[in-house]
Amino acid sequence: MSGTNSVSRPALFSAGALFSAAPLIIFIVLLIYLGISAPNLTDPATINLILKQSVPTVVVCLGLATVVVAGGDDVVSGGIDLSIPATAIICAGILADQLTNHGSPLWSAIALAAVAAVTMGVLNAVLVVAIGMTPLLATLASSVAAVGVTKVITSSRRINVDHPFVIYIRDANVAGVPSAVLIAAVFVLLFCFAVHRTRWGMQLQAVGGSRDAAEVSGIKTSSLVAQSFFIAALAGFLASFFVLARGSGSTPGSEENLLLEMVLATFLGAAFSPRRIVTVWGAVLGAVLVTALSVGFKSIGVNVFWTGCIKGTLILIVVASAAYSGRAQS
Amino acid sequence: MTLPVEHILEMQGISKAFPGVQALDKTDLFVRKGSIHGLVGENGAGKSTIIKVLAGIYTRDEGTVSINGAACDALAPAVVHEAGVRFIHQELHLVPYFTVAESVFMGQEQHGVLGLAGRRMRRRAEQFLKESLNCELDGKALIRTLSPAEKKLVQIARALIDDKARLVIFDEPTAPLASGETEQVFKAIRRLKERGISMIYVSHYLGEITDLCDEVTVFRNGATVAQLNRVDANSTQTIIHNMVGRDIDALYPEKKHSDGARMFSVSALGDNSRFFNVDLNISAGEVLGVAGLIGSGREEFIDTLYGLRRAEAGDMQFDGRELKLKSPADAVANGIVLVPRDRRNDGLVLNMSVGDNINLASLDEVAWARMEKRGLSLKRANELSEQIDIRPRNPKAITRFLSGGNQQKVVLARWLATQSKLFILDEPTVGVDIGAKVEIYQLIKELAANGAAVIVSSSDPQEMLGLCHRIMVMYRGEVVEDTPIDAIDFDSLLALSTSGARVASTA
Ligand SMILES: Nc1ncnc2c1ncn2[C@@H]1O[C@H](COP(=O)(O)OP(=O)(O)OP(=O)(O)O)[C@@H](O)[C@H]1O
Ligand SMILES: [Mg+2]
Repeated sequence: MSGTNSVSRPALFSAGALFSAAPLIIFIVLLIYLGISAPNLTDPATINLILKQSVPTVVVCLGLATVVVAGGDDVVSGGIDLSIPATAIICAGILADQLTNHGSPLWSAIALAAVAAVTMGVLNAVLVVAIGMTPLLATLASSVAAVGVTKVITSSRRINVDHPFVIYIRDANVAGVPSAVLIAAVFVLLFCFAVHRTRWGMQLQAVGGSRDAAEVSGIKTSSLVAQSFFIAALAGFLASFFVLARGSGSTPGSEENLLLEMVLATFLGAAFSPRRIVTVWGAVLGAVLVTALSVGFKSIGVNVFWTGCIKGTLILIVVASAAYSGRAQS
Repeated sequence: MTLPVEHILEMQGISKAFPGVQALDKTDLFVRKGSIHGLVGENGAGKSTIIKVLAGIYTRDEGTVSINGAACDALAPAVVHEAGVRFIHQELHLVPYFTVAESVFMGQEQHGVLGLAGRRMRRRAEQFLKESLNCELDGKALIRTLSPAEKKLVQIARALIDDKARLVIFDEPTAPLASGETEQVFKAIRRLKERGISMIYVSHYLGEITDLCDEVTVFRNGATVAQLNRVDANSTQTIIHNMVGRDIDALYPEKKHSDGARMFSVSALGDNSRFFNVDLNISAGEVLGVAGLIGSGREEFIDTLYGLRRAEAGDMQFDGRELKLKSPADAVANGIVLVPRDRRNDGLVLNMSVGDNINLASLDEVAWARMEKRGLSLKRANELSEQIDIRPRNPKAITRFLSGGNQQKVVLARWLATQSKLFILDEPTVGVDIGAKVEIYQLIKELAANGAAVIVSSSDPQEMLGLCHRIMVMYRGEVVEDTPIDAIDFDSLLALSTSGARVASTA
């Protein structure tokens, strides 16, 4: 537990403070650099594109932010759910397989995908809450399992989808804004409200802030943590539609990039909050910025592999900085 | 016929056994309505156990409990809460980045039509803190910016905010506070009494008990040995006698002054943020006290002495050598022994046996090639645990199940068993009962008499005055006084700690 009597905080310009602000500074520098070398980055059309591209990441980030809020943002022992992208991919695989290969009606495809998502939620909740595994390991395991099952379902092949519902999400615009962005905005508002403006959300934050404190205040901590994993699975389920739309079908292996961006965006988002904690809106903002970075690099012709390297390094910095400020606080 | 005294709580003939230990043996506890009831006893006497029985955490083996006249057969946390009983745990249980209002309403957040009623909760929290606890706080302030006493009050407010509390139980509430800060908590407790709330107050500080309480129950070995219905300053002797079963005439050992060679010195040490320009000199055979409130830089300074924090300026000399510390391991490697403040977290493997815990230090200090020396320190460790009276006296007992104070003693025994020339003891007697305190003071004296230099950091002024040869007082990051013990008294020590200057002499 954190020490009760240490009120020390790093001075404004100390090395520690600089290190915890490092991810934010690096990000801003990169974005400014991109803004200069790729001036069309700020065109309304490009911004629309960035927003649209960011939707799958934004939606999985909603789930991860909820889990981290409930589990605390200690990078190793706190709440984390690495399986959300895998949930999104397994749902997308089921949807694609059902719609294209089996010609099933939309509702039955959705129902099957929902069953898969619920299974993931139950699995994670049981592993973490009932069995007591660390979330990092538990969700890594369930993630690997889900990716495996997806490969079985899709025979590891790309499946195109041209169902009108998916096409609508991919192409339609409402008043000049992509429909996917609008739908995602509704989800974002719902999550923000639930996590930051309700009693349930406050209790979730209390559990993440201090399990013991929540416990003695009569909060049902285990149940809330379990709920957070359900909600994460729900976010994965919702994200699957946007994953399908973005790729016009399901593509094997697309969970890797999603995972990378989700973790990067969520912990980067903590740097935006005045209290330096993971928040839903911070994660959403992070997701949009991370996508802007990818789009920007692409537009100035940086090799995709290099983009991967840069993002990987950024994750390292973000997580290291989170671990460092976590240590400085205790 | 006289009417029976009205009791808010009657616990009669309560017994509770754990494997191998009779923690409570037909114990009685009666709390008069509207009073502050002190509960005292040695470490392991059963205070925490009876409170956990009341809380519904442990089920009693026998005995009756009635709360406010109504018999309670089955005690469960929800039932007890419903009856208006509230517990202020020793740990603060606060989230550092929550606001005051969020913390006060944790678990009972208020809702409006459009989500949380943030402003209403803030106003209510501020008002409650002010009216019921005598404390003006901004509902928007973050917990980590509060003083330890204010944090305690926030914790109390959280337990009482629903206005249904009738009996509040405090378990050593002042343990994390320095003596200048306890007054704020006492004021709040007295205010609660005016509002008709009954309280049970558990503490090892007998001064607080006689100050605050209207009546006292004394436990010894799981049994009620005395019930005092009136308490005044003279009750201390009676209480001590009943607690330990003998009289303690001298709490502190006689000081033997010795002038040894310079052992350890620090000059112009600072970390550029919490303490500045601190000089310290200590000779072999000397006990030096470092005093100062929380926030005075005392804790950070001490942490730096054993390598937990990095110094930015100044240097240290130990036994004629320059000393550079990067980590506590460095300090240990240099032969400095430290007893950390947060012993339960920093010093114990809770799932290991008492014996193994005591021997931990000697294990990693003595290499395999020096086996016989290890055997020696093992023997000494076992002697020590007997000397400071760890209960139960069973080296195989699992540390987790020891009472709080006995866990403290395990760590102390371990460190004091090590041979060294410099000991740094941070809050050596927190949570330890008065009998064991005497033993620990005796040990410290012996360490010094055998030629070691001992630095004691403590928030208990009485202890400092009784124990040390010399006292150094810190205030706002600087040393405001460094004086032999006979040139300072209780009042000036308190004044120096709280205001940085001695009180104007009233002579
Ligand atoms: N869960 C448990 N299992 C086994 N023994 C226990 C358990 N809890 C307490 N005990 C034993 O019961 C006895 C009473 O312990 P208790 O914690 O009530 O003491 P206390 O009066 O609160 O002491 P302190 O002042 O040190 O806090 C001790 O001998 C302790 O070792
Ligand atoms: Mg106790």
